[in-house]
Amino acid sequence: MEVAVLFGLIILFLLIGVPIAVSLGLSSIIFLLVLSDTSLASIAQSFYQAMAGHYTLLAIPFFILASAFMSTGGVAARIIRFSIALVGHLPGGLAIAGVFACMMFAALSGSSPATVVAIGTIVIAGMRQVGYSRDFAAGVICNAGTLGILIPPSIVMVVYASATDVSVGRMFLAGVIPGLLAGLMLMTTIYVIAKVKNLPKGEWQGWGEVWASAREASWGLFLIVIILGGIYGGIFTPTEAAAVAAVYAFLIASFVYRDMGPLSADGAVGSASLADAGVPMGGKPKSLSAAAVDVVDARSSLLQKPWALVTAFFHRDTKNTLFEAGKLTITLMFIIANALILKHVLTDEQIPQTIAAAMLDAGFGPIMFLVIVNVILLIGGQFMEPSGLIVIVAPLVFPIAIELGIDPIHLGIIMVVNMEIGMITPPVGLNLFVTSGVAGMPVMGVVKAALPFLSVLFVFLILVTYVPWLSTFLPTTMMGPEIITR
Amino acid sequence: MSSKRYTPRTRLGRIVNTFEETAIAVLLGLMTLVTFINVVLRYGFNSSLIWGLEVTLILFAWLILFGVSYCVKVTAHLGVDAVLNVLSAGPRKALTLLAALLCLIYAFLLMKGAWDYWAPFAGFYTTTGDWFPTGFDERTRDRAFYMTDQVPMLEMFRWLEDAINYGDEYDKLPRVIPYAMLPFGVALLLYRFIEATVGIVRGTRSGLIVSHEVEDAIDDIAAKREEA
Repeated sequence: MEVAVLFGLIILFLLIGVPIAVSLGLSSIIFLLVLSDTSLASIAQSFYQAMAGHYTLLAIPFFILASAFMSTGGVAARIIRFSIALVGHLPGGLAIAGVFACMMFAALSGSSPATVVAIGTIVIAGMRQVGYSRDFAAGVICNAGTLGILIPPSIVMVVYASATDVSVGRMFLAGVIPGLLAGLMLMTTIYVIAKVKNLPKGEWQGWGEVWASAREASWGLFLIVIILGGIYGGIFTPTEAAAVAAVYAFLIASFVYRDMGPLSADGAVGSASLADAGVPMGGKPKSLSAAAVDVVDARSSLLQKPWALVTAFFHRDTKNTLFEAGKLTITLMFIIANALILKHVLTDEQIPQTIAAAMLDAGFGPIMFLVIVNVILLIGGQFMEPSGLIVIVAPLVFPIAIELGIDPIHLGIIMVVNMEIGMITPPVGLNLFVTSGVAGMPVMGVVKAALPFLSVLFVFLILVTYVPWLSTFLPTTMMGPEIITR
Repeated sequence: MSSKRYTPRTRLGRIVNTFEETAIAVLLGLMTLVTFINVVLRYGFNSSLIWGLEVTLILFAWLILFGVSYCVKVTAHLGVDAVLNVLSAGPRKALTLLAALLCLIYAFLLMKGAWDYWAPFAGFYTTTGDWFPTGFDERTRDRAFYMTDQVPMLEMFRWLEDAINYGDEYDKLPRVIPYAMLPFGVALLLYRFIEATVGIVRGTRSGLIVSHEVEDAIDDIAAKREEA
């Protein structure tokens, strides 16, 4: 009964426009003050310890920072060029390349809306130029962008791992096969649609272009090697890997790609991406690389400005990127810190255990439970930012799942995939809004455009939910069987 | 709802804004550097900064505690605007005002908690009362002698030894320093919520939340498209 009041309060607060963090915190504080003898001082302490006492969560600011440096423009354009060189000649090539680029970008950034912005701004415009309808372009990117939270590294996975005390490394590995599978399913669907509707295809530009674009993109893509290789090679903890990735991304953006900092063309972040993005394909396959060369000419080399080695650290662009990443970290961590107060309430009151017992008594098995989790998350995911929803729901369903014998890693992947779908279902999917902004079309239009691919992701969700092998195979093979402590 | 990017109006506002933004950038930059340097030291020089992790975690806490108030000021906190968006202006303002009041209650409760937690470490009294401070508790147990685990003592804080630690020397940085950000940050948060509430009453502010993290980026794209 008290639980219903607690969650009722949270939802009520959310709906009238209280920030997510305050909704969670205030409801929990009221609950604690009324029903237990917890002091406000200990609540303040757990608020402080949410940051200072959680080594795992420390990975979040670093991953956000790494992806902020990687999103400054040039990386997305280079990844897209590489994708086009690789798969652009297939039927529906540019759309498939868009999905492929989203998958690669997802491996550099941990956020879905950020993926849509980075890849979508370039690819959607390009697709329209070669004759795709705007709806098709928006639908593809809107869906492919959701892969951002499934393909490691993923901020949502870090949040899940720290909310439930499973290993971040395992979660990342678990996302690999499902991520590739989801991308493959989307690409196949596009291929079939393209065959049927006879959509435009690009020209094969030869291995030379593949090689050249791969070399350009490899500086950025090497980040994946640092993160995953570093974690599984036992070189870094996930947190250290994230910090190293952030520094690496800064060095690449400032000194190799020179999209930002003292060596960039005009010192303005993001200008490069639009400059070489304006003309992808368009029947003239060389134009993209040609534009890239123009940008290169406008930049200065380190030999011309050797002092940049020092000034880059204090440059306006560096500060702005740090600041934007810091701001995003603050808003996410404010939510997480308050959700941890809520977790205290749940643990103290043994709420999940009570629900689990009730479910077992009512004869619900694991399958029914997973269906319920799916429904809760699908609904919740339409209204809320994924990390926020995970921190609320995970502490509640996790103990129940363990009780029912569901693998914690598998549960995590199911939750992430649910978030993905929640982000592209009306009324309030976040990716829908972002895509509508990026493509310049009304939200309802994006909803309709996303529908065919949404059904693909639904099939994918069912696959992931009922075939645990997909998520547990890699972590179990590479890190040994999961040890579950109750 | 699309939010205009925050621009300070007064000279003082600009100075404060620049300070806040710089502090956020510097805190995050320091965290990253310290962690990175520790990795380099471990593999390159087989040594480490023993205080590295603890300092990083303190900076992390500082970043969030200091930053929450800034994010209130520039309306960057995430929320759900699905219901608000379908309402007409009148009821919408009423609900937003109610939301602002709830935020004030939250910040007030947290403020009392933050003081009560920090005060013993600084040799001050905690407040009495469960949720509303009714006075000072003179039987507060002094905790000023608590030190951090590894962070070295800084010379600039030596005066604390006489002030709160009965002249006893601190071997490590006392906890009163890192914890001080808690009451400070929450006080700023309370102040920004008051400011926001006044803004909503006066009609200079439309709400407290944004619905997703890339709203600024989308606004930029839309602006560029209009130019083109």
